[in-house]
Amino acid sequence: MKNLLPRHYVFIGLFLVILVTMALNISLDVKVSPYTQKLFDKIDALPAGSLMMVSFDHEASSLPEIRPLALAVLRHAFKNDIKLIGVSLFPEGTLIGYRLMHNTAKEYKKEYGKDFVYLGFRPQYVAAILSMGESISATFPQDYPGNDYADIEMLQGIVNYDDINGIISIADGSLITHWIEYGGRYKLNIYGVVTAAMVTTYDPYLASGQMQAMMGGLRGAAEYEKLIGIDGGGARGMLAQSSAHLYVIFLVILGNIIYFRSKKSGKN
Amino acid sequence: MDVGTIIAGLLTLAILSFLYRDNIVYKFAESLLIGVSIGYVLVITWSNTLMDLLFEPLFDGDVLLVIPLTLGLFMLGRFHPKTVSLSRISIAVMIGSGAGVAIPTMMYHRTIKQLSASIAPLVSLDGAFNITGLVVLVGLISTLTYFYFSREHKGAVGKVAKLGTYFLMVFFGTTFGYTVMSRMSTFIGRMEFLLTDFLKLTQ
Repeated sequence: MKNLLPRHYVFIGLFLVILVTMALNISLDVKVSPYTQKLFDKIDALPAGSLMMVSFDHEASSLPEIRPLALAVLRHAFKNDIKLIGVSLFPEGTLIGYRLMHNTAKEYKKEYGKDFVYLGFRPQYVAAILSMGESISATFPQDYPGNDYADIEMLQGIVNYDDINGIISIADGSLITHWIEYGGRYKLNIYGVVTAAMVTTYDPYLASGQMQAMMGGLRGAAEYEKLIGIDGGGARGMLAQSSAHLYVIFLVILGNIIYFRSKKSGKN
Repeated sequence: MDVGTIIAGLLTLAILSFLYRDNIVYKFAESLLIGVSIGYVLVITWSNTLMDLLFEPLFDGDVLLVIPLTLGLFMLGRFHPKTVSLSRISIAVMIGSGAGVAIPTMMYHRTIKQLSASIAPLVSLDGAFNITGLVVLVGLISTLTYFYFSREHKGAVGKVAKLGTYFLMVFFGTTFGYTVMSRMSTFIGRMEFLLTDFLKLTQ
């Protein structure tokens, strides 16, 4: 204990707060924000058999936050019998997206090639987005497991963005900006599923109508899970997150008290 | 418990050990992460890019692909002083085509579309006052004034610029708050994995 620095106590405090709240295993009820409601309404309004593209535009490091978000939106799509085409514009997102789609499809007994397909990764996102706008089959002559595009039942007659209802970009960075800028040329409906850190980046695009809907962060996942009636990782993490936020606020107040007291007493 | 979960659990603990202090276990996990990430990206790039998009169609007779192949090989010229000029041809093509694609797109989507959204009518057709539109307009003008350096920030200009700083602070505060939320979510996600999948302490 002698070797512990003040920051170690801060970490231990945070660890204990999260440990205790997670051990309680309580799913906190959340109020659904207009952001999440809009995304839910847009996807829910699609008739069964509609075709959506899901792009896994994130790295492995953001998976703990991205996973509940991605699962919520994938579950909603499969539940409503929406057909999905998976792609990735980030090498690291490729296998993650493939596994997430397969595991979620299993829950709803969806068949590969008929209900969903995974095309894999293409480099140079600007070129990839523009290329799919002209021809998806020319961009992905084969899917990720190696089947020819022409042999996949679900993709028969699917030429470009005109044949799909929109793209859901699951992102931890600025890649949705490229979907907006380059996919926007083809009047593509763009939906964002993002980490909390990116919400303020995309807010102006939502306000301008360049992006149709968005949800962000663990809270967004909890709200979406509530809307689709599933108790997932988002809802389970809400109590821990709220407690962690209170802990941070407590530290900010404590830090300010210490600062002003030391200033008053003339200490550095 | 499967081997993957055990490895992931141990590596998570190894990374978290950095919170105490830098140590050899953390360094091992960090080096492993970098090595695996680079290896994975190389494999994906080789199979999904070079094989799928270049070599296979080239050997199938798409001779036009010789052009990007040559430009790609020119890029390797940077490694030798005598061939460095070859790489400039590839870079020129990249910059020229990249700028050609990006400039009109950015002008339209980042400037014109954003500006038009910022100057939405303050009163709608049914007579309702658009308070959000007013806040956006005041925020836009005052923040732009703050970044206007051709005139000293004194008098009316100074007051508007000062107002701009408040809008900026609100933006920074919101962004920071969301970033804290994001990092907490990541940590909670990892803790859930450790407690539920790895240690089986919770369900």
